[in-house]
Amino acid sequence: MQKQTQLAKLIYVLPITLALTTAACSDNDTGSNTPPVVVAPPPAAPPPPPPPPPATTANFDVSSCLTQTIPGTGGVTVAGAVIPDTLTLNLAAASGFPNGRRLPDPVIDVTLAIIFLDINTAPQSPLTLANVPVNPAANDVPFRSTFPYLAAPQGSPPLSGTTGTNFNFRTDAPTAYTRVDRMGMPAVSTALISSAMKNTYNDANPEDDVVGGGRFAGEITSVLTGLTNALADDLTGLGLRPCARPR
Amino acid sequence: MGISKQRLLAGGICLLAAPLLVFSAVQYSGAADHLDPPARTDPAVDSTPDRPADIADIYAWHTDSSVIVAVTFAGPQATTAAATYDRDVLYTVNISNASPRTTADFPIRVRFGRDTTASGDQFGVQVTGLPGVTGAIAGPVETNLSKDGVTVRAGLFDDPFFFDLQGFRETLSTGTLRFNNQRNFFAGQNLTGIVIEIPRSRIENGTSPIDIWTDTARLGGNL
Repeated sequence: MQKQTQLAKLIYVLPITLALTTAACSDNDTGSNTPPVVVAPPPAAPPPPPPPPPATTANFDVSSCLTQTIPGTGGVTVAGAVIPDTLTLNLAAASGFPNGRRLPDPVIDVTLAIIFLDINTAPQSPLTLANVPVNPAANDVPFRSTFPYLAAPQGSPPLSGTTGTNFNFRTDAPTAYTRVDRMGMPAVSTALISSAMKNTYNDANPEDDVVGGGRFAGEITSVLTGLTNALADDLTGLGLRPCARPR
Repeated sequence: MGISKQRLLAGGICLLAAPLLVFSAVQYSGAADHLDPPARTDPAVDSTPDRPADIADIYAWHTDSSVIVAVTFAGPQATTAAATYDRDVLYTVNISNASPRTTADFPIRVRFGRDTTASGDQFGVQVTGLPGVTGAIAGPVETNLSKDGVTVRAGLFDDPFFFDLQGFRETLSTGTLRFNNQRNFFAGQNLTGIVIEIPRSRIENGTSPIDIWTDTARLGGNL
């Protein structure tokens, strides 16, 4: 239990640390168009440069994380699960993340486990963190068992009427629209793509994800390496076995 | 959401942020896809966030008889707020059931409109490109609409995502880890969504994997 508590605390560090870099250190609430903070790589070094001491001495190779297979998927690797950035359904197997995504699946805890932990060495598995759990284990209201499955809106919000008949749907071709957002796997764009690449990533399509060996593979590897370098010692200290290997 | 997030990000964070810059330039909205990409959808980063086009989540699962896809967007929001139906946003649910996995064999388009001849708010949804459906399924939101074996419904829903974003906020404001897996930021919040249930036989293609993803686009360019 103590270990579980520590583990829960530790893992929560992940979203925090990720989020902290989101902070633009802005002290205005005016919503001005602050550009995303770009902190790494650092800007041009000051003139007399003793090589800047790295902030951490950890130096991990995450390739074994990206190449590890996800149990129960018939051999899908972590890299294969996030590249291309789609939800993949194997209709012959039981439904449940990462085989598709059901409403109650603990996708964040599972995602954290498969990108940070050796999930093929018992007792670790993709559910190691979900079993703690690190995040709330379930939605606050039950999902419906029949269509539309999502729970009804909470509270008493104003709802559209349901008697309209003559709707002014646009007829413009899809090519007339400009991409804003895309999503497949949960948290890939949010957690594994750096701010400098986010618009580019969301403008891309799954076919771009796989072209030339993976247009964003280097990006995902780089971000995951940075996260792992900072967290691996904590994971190890909690008795967990990271998937990354020291260089 | 916007105001509180701005406040969250505004106060007392820089001290903490500095030693953590090693994490590289990752922006994280603390959610599955809510407020991402930040430069287009997060009011803490963008003065003209495109809230209607901000995907929150996509879910896709199968049963013995169906494949169900749910896309949520424009949230989370207070339970006093109305849904978001923007006629200038095109929502696409892409389904691939054949090689290559990355091209959409069924690009399903979702558009919203309004009956401007009716009194009050009378919004409608139109879904085209559904496998096995002749033409479009169209009709009022907040209504189960069925045709040719496919059922769709757009409307306001509870936000189905669960995550301790509040612990994350408290940690930011106090500089101390204050996490609690009993605390779900998305509890008691709503958003807009569309759910599509399709007979499995319309999509199943031997042993080919089914790939599903969604994207949003705005007429006239980004806000």
